Amino acid sequence: MKVVIVYTWARDGANAAVRADGTVDWRGARMTAGEDDPAALAVATRLAVGSGGTVVGLTIGDGDASWALARGVGGTFSVTDAPPLADNASTARIIAAAVERVGDVDVVVIGDSKQDPGVAPTVAGHLGWTALAGLDSASVVDGRVAAVRRSATAQQTIIAAPPLVLAVAAEADVDTKPGMKELLAARKRPVTTWSMADLGLAVADVPSAGTRKPEAVAATLFEGAPATSAAQLVAALRADGVL
Amino acid sequence: MSIDGSTGSWLVATDEKQWGGMLAAARHLGGRVTAVVVGSRALADVVAATGPDEVRWVSTTPDVPPEAYAAAVADLAASDPPRVLVSSADPAARVLLGAVAARIGAAVVPGMVDLAASDGDVVVTRAALGGEVIETLVAAGPVATVFVGDDVESGAPAAVAVVEQAATAADVRVAGTEPVGSATGVADAARVVSFGRGVRAKADVELLRQLADALGAELACSMPIADDLGWLEKSRYVGRSGQHIAPRLYLAVGIGGAPQHLEGVRDAKVVAAVNNDPDARIFRTADYGIVGDLYEVVPALIDALRH
Repeated sequence: MKVVIVYTWARDGANAAVRADGTVDWRGARMTAGEDDPAALAVATRLAVGSGGTVVGLTIGDGDASWALARGVGGTFSVTDAPPLADNASTARIIAAAVERVGDVDVVVIGDSKQDPGVAPTVAGHLGWTALAGLDSASVVDGRVAAVRRSATAQQTIIAAPPLVLAVAAEADVDTKPGMKELLAARKRPVTTWSMADLGLAVADVPSAGTRKPEAVAATLFEGAPATSAAQLVAALRADGVL
Repeated sequence: MSIDGSTGSWLVATDEKQWGGMLAAARHLGGRVTAVVVGSRALADVVAATGPDEVRWVSTTPDVPPEAYAAAVADLAASDPPRVLVSSADPAARVLLGAVAARIGAAVVPGMVDLAASDGDVVVTRAALGGEVIETLVAAGPVATVFVGDDVESGAPAAVAVVEQAATAADVRVAGTEPVGSATGVADAARVVSFGRGVRAKADVELLRQLADALGAELACSMPIADDLGWLEKSRYVGRSGQHIAPRLYLAVGIGGAPQHLEGVRDAKVVAAVNNDPDARIFRTADYGIVGDLYEVVPALIDALRH
C-alpha cells in the first residue's frame, strides 16, 4: 500500500493570544503538529510495514515539514502557501488536491483533530473515498484495512478496502522526540514543495464577523475552613435538588 | 427571518446524542428541517417523535456501519441540496457530513453552538480555540456544521412519518464488537464522584469510596488513574476515550480539568469540584467549587452529608 500521512496542517491554538476584548492574536501561531499527529503517524507506518508498502508525508502551510522526516518518513510533500482557514472544507480541498497530485495513494492517514473535526471526513468526500474516523489503530489484513475504534463500553473492528481516509484520535500523548541522529537524517530526506497555484487551487473562507469571550460562568467557590465550605457545598447541592 | 424554505436544513443522525440541541439550532435558523437518519428503525422512530418536518431513513444492519452509506447519502443530497447541514461530533456522523459537504460544495464549520438567518446569510455561532472564544461566521452559501452545543429535551405533539431511502452500501463491514472491561454503573449513575491525580496513593481511594457511599454515587476517575496507575478498572474512567456520562451530579476531586476529561462530563447537570488550586481549569466548568486540600475537604464532606 502507498500510505500518505498528513501532518502539521493546522495552527496551534495554544499559541494564539485572546485579548481582553475577545479578539484573537494569531501572530505567534504557526502550523504545528497536532496532538493526534503522532498517533496518526504510528498508524500510517504500521499499514505501510504490514503491506510491504511505503509511507510518504504531506503537510500544508508554514509549519515544519521535517517533523515527519525526523520520525522515519522517507520523503514528504508540502503545499507551502496554504493558508489557515476557518472552513474545514477548503482545508480538505487543499489536502485532497495534494493527495491526487502525489498519485497512486491507497490510504490517507490524518489526525482526527478535535479543533477541526470536519477536515478528515471532507478530505474523503472530495476524493470520493470511504472514511473512518475516531480510530485508535489500524492494521493490514489480506490486503484490506482492519481499523479499531474504542468507546467506553466497546471496541469495534471495521474492515474496509482501500482507497481509504483514516482519521486517528490520540488517546494520550504518544510522541517521541527525535534525537540528533534522526534530525540530521531528516535533513537529507526530500521535501517536494508545491504552491496552491501548482495545484490549481484558489480557496475561499467563511468570513468571520468577529470573536468574543464567552459569558463568564465561573464556579461559585467556597474557600473557608473545610467544615464550613463542605457544609456550604452540601447545602447548595441540596437546594439544586441533586442530592 | 428564515432561510429559503425549499432548501432548508439537513440534520444527520447516527445516534441520539445531541439530537435535541441540533434540532433546536435548526429551528432557530427557520426553514424546513429534514432529519437524515442512518441507523436502526428504532433510532429513526425516536428522531421522528421529536418533530422535524420529515425523516429520511437509511437502514443499517449490525455488520454494516453508517459510514458505508456516505456516498449514498451524498447522492440523496445532490438531488435537492440543503442550504445547511448539521451533524454531531460522532465519528460516523461526521463522515456522512463530510461526504455530503464535498458533494454539494458546502463550507464546513466545526464547533457550532447555534444558527440564525440574516438577509439570506446563515449566521453560525461557534466555539473556537477550545471554547476560549465564541466566533460568529457568516456563510453566504451552503454550510455544513458540526454541533457541539448543549443538548436540550425535544418532543412534538405528533411524530412525523419515517420514509425509508433505498441506498447502496460501500465495501465496509463491522468485523467484530467486543465489550471493554466489566460493566459498571458509572454510565447510568445519577451521581458520580470522580478523582484524579490529586489523590496521592492507592490506599487513599478508600476515602473517595466513602464519599461516594455517603452520596449514593458511583466512583469514577480520570484517565491516568485507570490507564497508568490501574487504581480503578478502565470502564470507570471518564473522558474523551472513556465514559461519556450525564449524571445529575458530578463531583470531581483532585482533577485539574483537562479538556479531554471534561469532554466526558459535558452533559452533567451540576458539576462540583474540589481542588487546592483556585486557578484549576475545572473551576471554569464547575458550578460549585471548594478550594482546599482534598484530604481535609473530603472527610468534611462525608461528615456534612451524614448530618
